[in-house]
Formats: sequence, C-alpha cells, structure tokens
Amino acid sequence: MIRVELAKQLTRPRTYLTFLALTAFALALAVALSATGPGRVERVGDIPLLLVPRTSMFTLPLVALSSTMKFFLPLAVSVFAGEALAGEAAWGSLRYALARGASRSRFLGSKAAVAALFSIAAVVLVPVTAAAAGLVAYGWHALPVADGSASTPLRLALVSFDPGQALGRLGLATAYVAAGMSSIFAFAFFLSAVSSRPLVAVAGGVGLTILSRVLNVDYLPGVAVLNGYMPNNDVDLWQHLFQQPVESAGMLHFLVLQAVYSATFLALAWWWFLRKDVLE
Amino acid sequence: MALRNLTVAGPPPLAAVADHSTRREVSSARGAPVVRIEGLVKRLRRGVIAVDGVDLEIRKGEVWGLAGPNGSGKTLTLKMLLGLVRPTAGKVFLFGEPVRPGARVLGRVGALVDGPGFVPHLSGLDNLRLAWRLTRRPADEAGLEPALDYAALGEALHRPYSTYSHGMRYRLGFAQALLGRPELLILDEPVTGLDPLHVRQLRAALAELVARGTTVLMSSHVLGDVQETCTHVAVMQQGRVVASGRVPDLVARFGAGSSLEEAYVELVAGSGAAAGDPGRSAK
Ligand SMILES: Nc1ncnc2c1ncn2[C@@H]1O[C@H](COP(=O)(O)OP(=O)(O)OP(=O)(O)O)[C@@H](O)[C@H]1O
Ligand SMILES: [Mg+2]
Repeated sequence: MIRVELAKQLTRPRTYLTFLALTAFALALAVALSATGPGRVERVGDIPLLLVPRTSMFTLPLVALSSTMKFFLPLAVSVFAGEALAGEAAWGSLRYALARGASRSRFLGSKAAVAALFSIAAVVLVPVTAAAAGLVAYGWHALPVADGSASTPLRLALVSFDPGQALGRLGLATAYVAAGMSSIFAFAFFLSAVSSRPLVAVAGGVGLTILSRVLNVDYLPGVAVLNGYMPNNDVDLWQHLFQQPVESAGMLHFLVLQAVYSATFLALAWWWFLRKDVLE
Repeated sequence: MALRNLTVAGPPPLAAVADHSTRREVSSARGAPVVRIEGLVKRLRRGVIAVDGVDLEIRKGEVWGLAGPNGSGKTLTLKMLLGLVRPTAGKVFLFGEPVRPGARVLGRVGALVDGPGFVPHLSGLDNLRLAWRLTRRPADEAGLEPALDYAALGEALHRPYSTYSHGMRYRLGFAQALLGRPELLILDEPVTGLDPLHVRQLRAALAELVARGTTVLMSSHVLGDVQETCTHVAVMQQGRVVASGRVPDLVARFGAGSSLEEAYVELVAGSGAAAGDPGRSAK
C-alpha cells in the first residue's frame, strides 16, 4: 500500500514543485549571503549566534534552516499532511480505495507514512542544499561561532567547531527541526481525515503555525504562561547546539511536547477516519 | 396496502444462517441472497433522515434497478452497502456476511457510485493498476484486459485522467468496477452523460456479465433502460422503498400494463399516501 501511495504522490506536480521551491529558496539564500560584503556577520536566531559567512560552509545551512523553520517548512509539511486524505476525498478516489475492502487503518497508515517521509525530506533538503552550496563556495573548514548571549562588550565568547563536529551538530539540528514539525504535521493530517477539502487541512496547519507565532510573549506579554506549550514556538532552540556548553533542557521539553501533540492528533485522525462516513 | 405484496418475499435463508457451517459455506449456499438489507436507516447531520427503513433482498443472477426522485436516498443506500457510510440502524449483508468498513466480502463487489473518482495526474491505465494493487490481491485476478475492453478508451488510456471527457471518465469508472471479476456489480447511474453508442455498449456489456451469472444493482433515472435491462426494480421515495418486485409485475400493477415510466409516475406523483403510510414499516 505504501508503494501505491508513493506512486501517486511522487508523480504529483505539487510534490516536486514543493521540493523545487525549497531548493530554490536555499540556493537563493546562499547566493545572497555570498554576495554580501566579505566581513559581514550573520546573526542567527534569538540566542543569538554570530556567524561570518565567508569563513565556513556551515553558515549557509544554519541560516537556511533558521529562515525556513518558522514558515516555509511548516507550509510544506502542511501541504503534504493536509493533502494526504482530503486530497483523495476531493478526487473522489477515496470511496473506491475503501469500497474494495481495503483496511481503513492500513490505508491511513500508508498515507501518514508517505506524507511523513516527504515532510522529513523537505526539512532535510534545505540544509543539505545550502551546505552543498557552502562546500562549493568556501570548502571544508571549521565553523567559528560567536555566542552573542554569552559575550560581553569586553569579551567575545568564541567557539570553534571542526568541520566533522559542525556537520554532526548540523545533522542534530536538522533532526530537531524535523521533529519540531511533527505537531503541525499531525494537526494538518487530522484535519485531512476530517475534511474533504485539502485546502482546509493545509490552511489549518499553517494557521496553527501562525497562532503559535502570535501567541508569543514577544507580541502578547499576557500569554507568557502558554509560551512553553505552543507547537512551533521553540523550534529554534537547536541553536543551543552551537553554544558551549549545550543547554539541552529546553530542547528536551520541546521534543516531549511534539510527541504529545502528534500522538494526540494522529490518534484523533485514526479514530475519526475509522468511523468516518465517506459521503463525498 | 397492496404494495407490500409485490415485495419479493422469498423465504429468508434462516436455515443457512442458523447452520453452524463456516461463513464461506453460508455465503455460497444455494439461494443465499447476494444482498440483504434489513430496516436500513441513515440519519444525517441536522437530523435529516435520508434513508428510512429500507428492506431489500437480491438473489444471484437478478438485475435490480433502483429508481426514485433526486435525493430519495439511492446513493446513500448503495454507499451503506459498500461499507462507506455507517447505517444509523439496520443491517446489511452481502453474500450472507455482514458489511462493515473494510469487510473482506467487499472484495467480491465492484462499484461505480456517485461518479468515477481517480487520481487526476495519472493515466487511466495507471489508475486502474494502482486501484487494483490497493486490494493486495494477485495481479492475475484483476482481469484488467477484459475490463479495459469494456471501457473502450483506446489511446486515451495512456493520457492523464484529468484530460478525459465526462463520458470517458464514466467508462473508466465502469472498467474499475469490473476489476477482479466481481460477483455483484453496484452501479449508480452508470449511463449519465454517455453518448447513445456507449450506452448501447454498456448495456451489451451488462447483458454479457449477467449471462455469466453476475448480479447487478443499479440506480437509474432512465426508466426505459431499467425496463429493458432489469429483472427487478425498487422505487424509492423519501428514503423508503415504496414498491419493489419484478418489473412486469410493477408495470402491470401501476403502469396499466404499458411502461415502467407510467408505473413510476403513478407511484411517485400519486404517492403522498404511500410515503406517509404508517403501516408500511409494520411489514
Ligand atoms: N454529503 C451529504 N451531506 C448532506 N446531506 C447529504 C449528503 N449526501 C446526501 N445527502 C442527503 O441525503 C439524501 C439522499 O441523498 P442521495 O444522494 O442518496 O439521493 P439520490 O437518491 O442518490 O439522489 P439523485 O437521484 O439525485 O442521485 C438527500 O436528501 C441529500 O440531501
Ligand atoms: Mg444519487
């Protein structure tokens, strides 16, 4: 069943256009960063890390990751998850897939597996493209990172990661971001099981991302208590991986949060889909 | 009311059901109905009762037409037969086995309900292949070639489905229904929008399948067609079966012996009483 689903989705224009757009974005970013002045410092995230583009290939993937994780990647993930079941309902092929006696659980599972695979591929694609561009442009060198939050006006907290180390950290950061998409994935997938309109499910995933952005202390000081529980809020904490020592408590909390969100919404999707009247 | 007397009331196969043989044996027992619907009710959201106590029994080799005004519950009834919609009340059996979502017995049924539905960016052929692979049954059981012959799509078979015309889509839908050489065909208005030549072709295809023992249940608004192709007919109105039985019997009883259409008009136009008859459900 998974192979059938792969055959449907891999040939789909929407799939490769999404991947193409993400690749183009990562490359455009690489070009833009390379074109700026040689000594220019890139500030990544709120922590903040200060990177000098010219000195390492790893600057590009780090900037690419942090500039896509709060909107473009959630959007891509929402597209894959939101289209999964609702897209089939909209085509009218859902009833034929199910009317032949195919197990609904198995069908749901194959949909979730392929959508998840594509979502992970989308997350991985961004830093990989940027890192490849960085390797071509700057070569295999160590990554010097100035930790803005640990620095004082008199002392610059500078850490240097050798290339192998930096690559390992980048891998962990990518895995963290991918895991950080799972709540949005599960929510969009749930909507996809409920609605027969893919746009509703996709918009729901994007909506949850935006909600998570808006219900933020930075904008609304009153909601500080919610801050640790928003599904997409702490997706940027991977930046701690490039500090020394690594501050991991926030990341662990976020990963547990993702697991809870996704287990809840995937279970709801399953529960609903097994009982759903296929009217369309 | 005399309506009830027309219902085909063959003895329910209680003996077979009570028999302690395995399900498979029950379902293949001679005379076991291919379709059996008992007191089927579907209440939709907002309290609309779309199907309101339908009873129907279809035996092997019979060809049933399902007629009735728009919105009378034909499509919903067929969807409940296919395990797509959960009945609010009542039971559905296919080949003696209860139907529920994903029931294995559905593998013996081919359907075209509520229009065809395919993946738009794939070709017709790829769509049929994938649809069959979803059943996880061996490829040689699919009977793809004969199904494709019935669809008569020619070169178009290799074009993306999104480029198909309305009639081509229906023919592909019909081909999909034939995959796996089903013993029961459920067709929901299979001829809507087909050109006369293809209607004739479809009729011939059906006749051929019926000759080979396929049981058919098809809804249609084309009553001339029903009269010609079907052995039996059920007329639905407001979620109920207001008359059912052999086509000639219904024509004789309600159509003054002339046509099924006459009978239908008589039943549906002059049936305020029949639809509201409280005694109807007390079979
Ligand atoms: N998806 C749906 N949402 C809400 N109501 C529905 C839905 N599908 C069907 N209905 C309602 O159920 C009732 C029966 O519909 P159904 O589609 O079974 O009719 P039908 O007999 O097939 O009509 P037609 O001849 O027009 O195809 C109608 O009143 C319709 O409004
Ligand atoms: Mg209908």
